[in-house]
Amino acid sequence: MATVEQTDTIQPLNGRPPYAPGDADGFFTHVGSGGKVEADAWMPDEYRAAVLKFVEMHANSELMGVLPERDWIMRAPNLRRKLALTSKIQDEVGHAQLLYRVAEDLGKPRAQMLADLLEGKTKFHNVFHYPTRSWADIGIIAWLVDAAAIVSQQALRDSSYAPYARTMRKICWEESVHIMHGRDVVLTLMNGTDAQRAMVQEALDRWWGPLMQMHGPPTDPARDKDLHWGIKAKNNEQLRQEFLSIYVPRIRELGLQIPDVALHYDEAEGRWQYTEPDWAELKSVVTGHGPASQERLGFRRDHYADTQWVRDALLGNATAAA
Amino acid sequence: MSERVWEVFRQEDEGDPMVHSGNVNAPDEELALHYAREFYGRRGESHRLWIVPRDAITELDDPDLLKPPFDRSHKKPGGYLIKHKLEAAKARAGGTAGE
Repeated sequence: MATVEQTDTIQPLNGRPPYAPGDADGFFTHVGSGGKVEADAWMPDEYRAAVLKFVEMHANSELMGVLPERDWIMRAPNLRRKLALTSKIQDEVGHAQLLYRVAEDLGKPRAQMLADLLEGKTKFHNVFHYPTRSWADIGIIAWLVDAAAIVSQQALRDSSYAPYARTMRKICWEESVHIMHGRDVVLTLMNGTDAQRAMVQEALDRWWGPLMQMHGPPTDPARDKDLHWGIKAKNNEQLRQEFLSIYVPRIRELGLQIPDVALHYDEAEGRWQYTEPDWAELKSVVTGHGPASQERLGFRRDHYADTQWVRDALLGNATAAA
Repeated sequence: MSERVWEVFRQEDEGDPMVHSGNVNAPDEELALHYAREFYGRRGESHRLWIVPRDAITELDDPDLLKPPFDRSHKKPGGYLIKHKLEAAKARAGGTAGE
């Protein structure tokens, strides 16, 4: 595209050093000092690959994350809950679409991303590898899984990759609705019968482990490139501490017991102490060995095959057009 | 040469969304760029501009699609009134569960 010629060479107002295409050092200085990158800007291959991997995993998680909830559409207790749940699922699939679009702009075709997901070559979040057992799971997922996710997503609104940052602003707004929906489901059950309260407690007991694993093991900030390059703004442990600070009091005030006797706020250290999450389980689960991993991937594969005719029709495949 | 209308979108700072700012009249892309620069970028107030022919824009403003007459409150945070439910649940928990 044509550009207006720059004729003067005064210092940039934002004070960040500009970089020329091909100048990797200049680029990393730029993002390291809070600079932003647009889709059409030159960027080093390792930065492009790191953003792509991050966004693709996020997109996969949004797409796979609706499957546990999908199981409950027909079992929602009333019409309003069914509308809310269906609406949440629509939002999450929409997030996947927005994020695959961001990823596509980085150079990987969507068909390839879906193929890699279905073949188990790329990952999705650990929490979506587990089965659901009761309606209380729907409350716990929408409230606490989405809350844990939004803690990291809010930090991504400051990502150095500007198209991702802008997309996260829209996504966070929608996720805040999901959290309200989930908290409302949980509160309704907690004000119900003893059996309903026991159902919420049982769901929390099962989900707490995966929730504590969700942000990943603590990493060495000095060696975390995603952090260094501003792709993400906070490290795993910061996100987990933030989640605990907001949600432990909100869970306990309802009379729910968090299934970790070691969990407490350490005033001296200024942080939450907790039983070490099962990192071996996390690794096993996200590599496709979770209790529902293969069932979910199998569903996606069947669904992908069933809907091939739609893509053929829309994309003008020769056989479909005949 | 006939003039065309070009819609101008402006990014105020690095990373910001492109926001519609106005439009200019110009016979070709080159002049449209210069006019846009004069109107929306001459004080350094823009990080980048997008200049798009008006006839390249597809508009949707059908209220039946954008503002359908159904209750959509379940899609908004305000659609969930938890204040009294939260008070009731906390009262039931009896303050026995501390932090």
